[in-house]
Amino acid sequence: MDFSEAADRISRKFSKSGHEIDQKKIEGKLRRLIDEFGVQPAEAERSVTNELAKEFNIPMGGPGSSGGKGSGTESKKIAEVLPEEWVTIEGKVVALSAPASPSIAQSGIIADDSGGIRFVAWAKSNAPKMAEGSWYRIESAVVDEFKGVANIKIHSGTTVTELGTDGALIPTAAPIKDLHPGIGSVRAKVVQEWDATHERMLQSGLLGDETGTIKFVIWKEPGKEQLVPGSVYNIFYAQVDEFNGRLSLNLNSATIMQEDGDIAVNGGEATVRGSIVHIAPGSGIIKRCPVEGCNRALSRQNYCPVHEIQPKFIYDLRIKGWLDDGEKTHSILLQRDVVENLTGISLADAQEIAENNPLGMDEVFLRMRDAILGRYVTCSGREIDNRLLVNKCERLVFDSSEHTSLLNRAGGAS
Amino acid sequence: MSMPARDMGRKEGSFEREPARRVFAGELRECRYQFKDGEDEKSPTYVLLPSGERSNRIFLVGTLTEKQRQGEQNIFYRGRVVDPTGTFFVMAGSYQPEAMQQLAKIETPAFVAVIGKPNLYQKPDGAYLVTVRVESITVVDRETRDLWVLDAAARTLDRVDAMAAGTSPDVIKAKEQYPTIDPSVFKKMAYEALAQIKI
Repeated sequence: MDFSEAADRISRKFSKSGHEIDQKKIEGKLRRLIDEFGVQPAEAERSVTNELAKEFNIPMGGPGSSGGKGSGTESKKIAEVLPEEWVTIEGKVVALSAPASPSIAQSGIIADDSGGIRFVAWAKSNAPKMAEGSWYRIESAVVDEFKGVANIKIHSGTTVTELGTDGALIPTAAPIKDLHPGIGSVRAKVVQEWDATHERMLQSGLLGDETGTIKFVIWKEPGKEQLVPGSVYNIFYAQVDEFNGRLSLNLNSATIMQEDGDIAVNGGEATVRGSIVHIAPGSGIIKRCPVEGCNRALSRQNYCPVHEIQPKFIYDLRIKGWLDDGEKTHSILLQRDVVENLTGISLADAQEIAENNPLGMDEVFLRMRDAILGRYVTCSGREIDNRLLVNKCERLVFDSSEHTSLLNRAGGAS
Repeated sequence: MSMPARDMGRKEGSFEREPARRVFAGELRECRYQFKDGEDEKSPTYVLLPSGERSNRIFLVGTLTEKQRQGEQNIFYRGRVVDPTGTFFVMAGSYQPEAMQQLAKIETPAFVAVIGKPNLYQKPDGAYLVTVRVESITVVDRETRDLWVLDAAARTLDRVDAMAAGTSPDVIKAKEQYPTIDPSVFKKMAYEALAQIKI
């Protein structure tokens, strides 16, 4: 096997920083690793490079260290890289974000026509600063996995070269239902805007397209602007996060362009007609944590899982239960106004009962249960994670035309 | 780290509560076959309806005509709930304390909505009896009863149609288990139930 090509590459890397190394010595090291120890050539080359770098105490991948054809790995499409691989990619830096730690020199997103991936350049790597909008070849980087999402680590053995090309890169938007953790692009409409639950949060809400909806968040950062509810945006290279099995979009890294079109959003709207077959504990009148932005349900002892004892709680009404159409049972959640309409018990009535009846809050539960359990209703709302968040719930009324048509159906041809 | 959380999410999402089937007393009475889906102790038990559908839970609305407290140490309540086609035998024991309290409070006669689990028993004399172990029972009005008759009739007709056309495993099993039952009797039953509703 001929090691001269690889040895030449290595020696050229070092000669740039003023170290002349005997080619034969490098070849010897490579031969030993490859022939005696069965190391893959690419890995051997990396290992020898690192060993020498250590010997001369020079950080690898510094300015001007580029050259040669890379570490022998073929350049890969970004969408194809897998965790724990050593890869060489070519792509355009589409976003830079503030490094989260002093040991990180740069972080951001690099993309090619197959997709995007987050990258992190370690401070120790001495990699050249990359500029947003420019194309680079990144040789011998490591693909890592964090929270199930692949990212590329640029370390001291990585070579970063700026490419002269200035290709425009138009990402293809994915349907929201097909998003997966990582980097994603969507064309979507802002369907809801939510109250910020954190002081660092600039905006959060719901984005939707024809296939579904997804939560989005923008954190406060210079130059970030809020999205306009009801408007349609092309959002390129947003970060798709996963928490408790649910996806959300972090738009801080994204390139966002507003457009004039409209989208018929599939918001998971569902209408179910059936009978209420179960009312779960925790229904009726409940106490909520008064801390701004918390609103969690308190335990009987007025204990909030986050803010501890809260004697100045706020009363609220809700019903959690199951609505059954005979084929499938749907988990339902009814908010205060829906509960008031359906049960005929207002929050004020419920509070009066809770405070003056010997059974207290249980009495509200029992009265609501007796008022609606086993009744036929039509519930409509949005279905999220198999739970129907009901915004309208009406009792079914007897329809004599349905009666007649059933009579005809049952009486025919018997 | 992220794997368990993701798995948990899937598990939650994949949980499906057994739907409550709508079946007339006249059909439930004919059940003779009960089976378990799976080997596990906690695997659900199903009663096979003669119209070709398994049922782990039923929803019924009728008139509670009688109730009776029984047992000395293990108190339980029995009740009879009548629909246009026959009688459901319902019971609630100390394992269903909430249901038992609900049933104990109700004054007969009253329209009641019952959610419960059907169980098939063979009495010492060899006769079969299907009872409904109550999960909850509430007093309702006549309109709810009428709505249930429409619902039960529609579902019964759906099952009869599916049985005529279908080849689902439950339909095949029902044809095996109930060779002497002609599903069209349930169509007739639905018609008679519907005809009893006064407009």
